[in-house]
Amino acid sequence: MEVMSAVPRLLWLLPPVLLLLFPACESRDPELSPVTCGSLLKLLNTRHNVRLHSHDVKYGSGSGQQSVTGVESADDANSYWHIRGKPKRPCQRGVAIKCGQSIRITHMKTGRNLHSHHFSSPLSNNQEVSAFGENGEGDDLDVWTVQCDGVHWERDEAVRFKHLGTDVFLSVTGEQYGHPIRGQREVHGMSSPNQHNWWKAMEGVFIQPSLEPLRHDEL
Amino acid sequence: LLFCSLKLYILRDFYKILGVTKSASIRDIKKAYRKLAMQLHPDRNPDDPKAQDKFADLGAAYEVLSDEEKRGQYDKYGEDGLKEGHHGSHNDIFSSFFGDFGFMFGGNRQQQDRNIPRGNDITFDLEVTLEEVYSGNFVEVVRNKPVAKEASGKRKCNCRQEMRTTQLGPGRFQMTQEMVCDECPNVKLVNEEKTLEVEIEQGVRDDMEYPFIGEGEPHIDGEPGDLRFRIKVLKHPVFERRGDDLYTNVTISLVEALVGFQMDIVHLDGHKVHIVRDKITKPGARMWKKGEGLPNFDNINIRGSLIITFDVEFPPTQLDEQQKDGE
Repeated sequence: MEVMSAVPRLLWLLPPVLLLLFPACESRDPELSPVTCGSLLKLLNTRHNVRLHSHDVKYGSGSGQQSVTGVESADDANSYWHIRGKPKRPCQRGVAIKCGQSIRITHMKTGRNLHSHHFSSPLSNNQEVSAFGENGEGDDLDVWTVQCDGVHWERDEAVRFKHLGTDVFLSVTGEQYGHPIRGQREVHGMSSPNQHNWWKAMEGVFIQPSLEPLRHDEL
Repeated sequence: LLFCSLKLYILRDFYKILGVTKSASIRDIKKAYRKLAMQLHPDRNPDDPKAQDKFADLGAAYEVLSDEEKRGQYDKYGEDGLKEGHHGSHNDIFSSFFGDFGFMFGGNRQQQDRNIPRGNDITFDLEVTLEEVYSGNFVEVVRNKPVAKEASGKRKCNCRQEMRTTQLGPGRFQMTQEMVCDECPNVKLVNEEKTLEVEIEQGVRDDMEYPFIGEGEPHIDGEPGDLRFRIKVLKHPVFERRGDDLYTNVTISLVEALVGFQMDIVHLDGHKVHIVRDKITKPGARMWKKGEGLPNFDNINIRGSLIITFDVEFPPTQLDEQQKDGE
């Protein structure tokens, strides 16, 4: 009988205890640092240890568009990419990118977007990945989805990039180019998720997550 | 014979040093620090013997007032009440606003020896809202960059092609091209992180740049390049910017156009601009509100104007009999 009467008393202790265990949504674990909209970064393929890279060199086959490769060096400004929202739907500066979110990845130096389409890649016959557009504007084949577990794309975790238009994953399998980009690896799209399509944010200029809105919502 | 150890405590008024009020926001404090740091840096004041002290005071003031906990302690107990000494160096604070080589003011390093190779520059297009242009803001970013560190052993550096002459026999020589390198201490690249504070100054214009010297890409044989933030002002749904003036459109009803009206327009920082009109308002009529535009970048006490263009909404289709008899 004692046990029976104790239970209801304990029950109304539960809500305040739960509130202590699950604090209000805005507080975040200080150890997590998500990649935010507007950040500039280099992406490292974790299997092959090369950084996503582009330059003013066009493919000699396939689409003939600007080539995208993987490079070993860590100090080349041509490996910087800008994380931006979808066409016509800009993301707000400083807001963390969610897993599953669609983004564009724009090459800093040339202003062209990471892009894929139904052309074959020159060395491995996978799907060609190029850099396309002018001043950050291209077309709908510039959109990629960030694939990760968890809520947000975390800086210290590897993620996958799935191409929205053709469903391939951004990958490197190790084939190397010759002159004039000797040693650079081919970057292409592969249809299956595997060890070759993990990418991690490395060097960059990361905009710190902001919680307050930049603009009043009534406007 | 009272030689007590008289420690002269000159207790510093940190608010006065920064030139801010006790209720200043963190943004006000950052803005004040950045402006004064540019003025008080010892390199800028070589003739002032007190320059180092003034600059150190500025750093101490910022370190305390920019930290919520330290500021609270300082407000209650004064400088004496601050626990422990100062942890961060002023150099760290200064370089978070200007970059590692930020003391080279002017953003150019043309005075430097042109033979020192430089790493790549990074130009970051920073999108800002019109609200931020009106009120100012600070954007905090984390810069993760590779830094050249000493490593054990040697490496080849300053490699260049040179012509070598070899003698094949009496009177016969051959010139060949050879790659020749020097030996330098070995270097490895290690990633480091630091926080940078980018100020969006009031009235800032499109394409204005804020350089952080030395925060670009490293160069193994030389100096790092720069990180430059280039301002890109986003289009606003309500206000259009032309210089320091703001343009906006307001639609009024036919009745209001004939009879007059009053209304409030919500400005970029939330304050309301009250409009009163008691005459007839024709479509396309404009009203000028002086001082309600954007602050001028060079002198924020001067503001542009807000120009309101009125559009009159006519009823969509026919008026029925009742409406024709009524108004």
